[in-house]
Amino acid sequence: MANPMFDILRGLIYGNILPVGKLSPHARVFATLMGKRGDTVPFLAPQIHDHAMTVAKVPARKYYYDAALLVNTQIAVERWYDFDAPMITADNYNFELEALGAKMVYSDYGMPTVDTNQPLIKERGDLDKLGELDPAKGRIPIGVEIARLSAAMGLGIFANGLFCAPFSFICGATGYPKAVRALRKDPAYAKELFDYAENKAIFPYLKVQATAGVKQSLGADAWAAFPNLTPEMVDEWVVPSALRLKKRGKKELNMRVGAGVAAADYCEEDPAKFNKEIMFKCFTIARKMMPMNMTMTIMGRTQDWDMRWVQEYSVKNKNWWRKIPIYASLNGRFVRDSKPQQIVDKIREWINIMGRDGGLLFFIGNVPADAPPVNVHTALQAVHKLGHYPIAKDLSAVTVEPVKFTPFDDWLKGQPEADVIFKAREKK
Amino acid sequence: MGEGLYQAISKAVTEGEEEEAIKRVEEALKNKLPPIEIMQKGIVAGISKAGELWKKNEYFLPDVIMAADAFKAAMAILKPRLEEKEGARKGKKVVIGVVQGDVHDLGKSLVIAMLTSAGFEVIDLGIDVPLQKFIDTAKAQKPDIIGLGAYMTTTMLEMKGIIAELEKQGLRKNLKVMVGGVPTSQEFADEVGADAWGKDALDAVQKALKL
Repeated sequence: MANPMFDILRGLIYGNILPVGKLSPHARVFATLMGKRGDTVPFLAPQIHDHAMTVAKVPARKYYYDAALLVNTQIAVERWYDFDAPMITADNYNFELEALGAKMVYSDYGMPTVDTNQPLIKERGDLDKLGELDPAKGRIPIGVEIARLSAAMGLGIFANGLFCAPFSFICGATGYPKAVRALRKDPAYAKELFDYAENKAIFPYLKVQATAGVKQSLGADAWAAFPNLTPEMVDEWVVPSALRLKKRGKKELNMRVGAGVAAADYCEEDPAKFNKEIMFKCFTIARKMMPMNMTMTIMGRTQDWDMRWVQEYSVKNKNWWRKIPIYASLNGRFVRDSKPQQIVDKIREWINIMGRDGGLLFFIGNVPADAPPVNVHTALQAVHKLGHYPIAKDLSAVTVEPVKFTPFDDWLKGQPEADVIFKAREKK
Repeated sequence: MGEGLYQAISKAVTEGEEEEAIKRVEEALKNKLPPIEIMQKGIVAGISKAGELWKKNEYFLPDVIMAADAFKAAMAILKPRLEEKEGARKGKKVVIGVVQGDVHDLGKSLVIAMLTSAGFEVIDLGIDVPLQKFIDTAKAQKPDIIGLGAYMTTTMLEMKGIIAELEKQGLRKNLKVMVGGVPTSQEFADEVGADAWGKDALDAVQKALKL
């Protein structure tokens, strides 16, 4: 793994002064994050935990309980696909709730899940009975180890701890309808819930992450996506909560804490209801919580969006005369259910609209476990070929050949992660 | 007085004012207004209005949750009176729920309102309902129809598993399955083995009557 500081400098120089030569994957990402062009449009590793587990054929009951196995598996699968920047994720929404005693559903085939039919907080009085999170309980030590290993294994600035952001924690603890009722009808109770989530459940988890040397931690907040919450509700409740955690993390733990990842993400499912004004409002509110100034799309039904809207927003909100970078996420179900050619065509369309002036990063919003690997490989190949700068004047004339790749098991032999993965497949 | 009260009930349901909805339904019953009219002109009109606002992007999921709460609270007051009235001509029994992982309540509330108005006995399992709960209820309640709803492309796939499990456990013999929700279609209903697809609440009731 290259020196992160060198990659940042190389990306900076390439994007601003001297666009010469081939960039390392990290330098390519840095150049793009500055709203500039790298040598190619980069493709960041997505949320891939269940998919990586399936590709590597490791059992769920080992994978989600063994930090080394989880991290090694994801790093290997992401490298097999050739993503430009790695990312390690787990079942981020569960760790705190599980440690506090929430009923869970465990599976042989997928990640553990909170049993929403038996919520931890059934009525208001239950909140008072919950004590502070004990970081020795549940899989909290595994969560800490995942973050520590991500840093130790050279993920550089892409290494981070993970936690469940406050509003999603509240939804997990009470169920979504009760959480929304509190926000709408009982703000005093909602404040109590946020206070508990931030200070008694999440902060103790962040504290043990910091003690283990983790420098930054991100809090997933899909329950706060649109239309689960309106942009106004995110602004009123989720943004201040994220900023409180950020401030406290910096002051007390010297840690960069980013709660609210995926909050205000525009996830309208019905194309007939797509609305530019609401989408832009969501982008603007999400930016208030982001560590970087970006137009962020994560889980939405992006395959049906008019991406000219996204480009328009990014150009309108330019940062130092350059459009703000676009984090363009291919919908996970689209990647799973499409034919390779449909994926290529979608990528061609997006690069044509958003990639010509730089500042475009590709991503996939949670790769489903059963997504065909050929589709993910196709997406990577298409982005790297069609997104090669300077972008071809007529992208429709650029052919993306059917992808060829070595099967994962053959590729894995001789890789540093091979032993851990092959051993995990053995029955005890 | 009747029209004014119906409008007040409708407004309370649309705006998610649960206590106001209960109060107005009680007032209407005290004034001896017909329960079926209270439901149709007040409660159903209110939840339908919420549906229209949702379609127009003027209402969002939290608004819909509030409206559905008020709808359920108002219906709970009215249900015993409707049953007294309907008594002998109680219709087919329908068990309905939104599949696991999905919390979209509005479409289901509309379907319940329409089915109840059409004389069906409806058991509402709520939202985010796990597969096992559908199976257990099918065994315990022996309904004529099970209605499965989903609003998201991710969650609609749950329906296939539920229908397969009903089949596996030999529960499909006297049981029809209906599916509905934004991402579903007749093709999807055929693919997962459902007996009918409800395009919207009205269509769902018309199809349920024919099953």
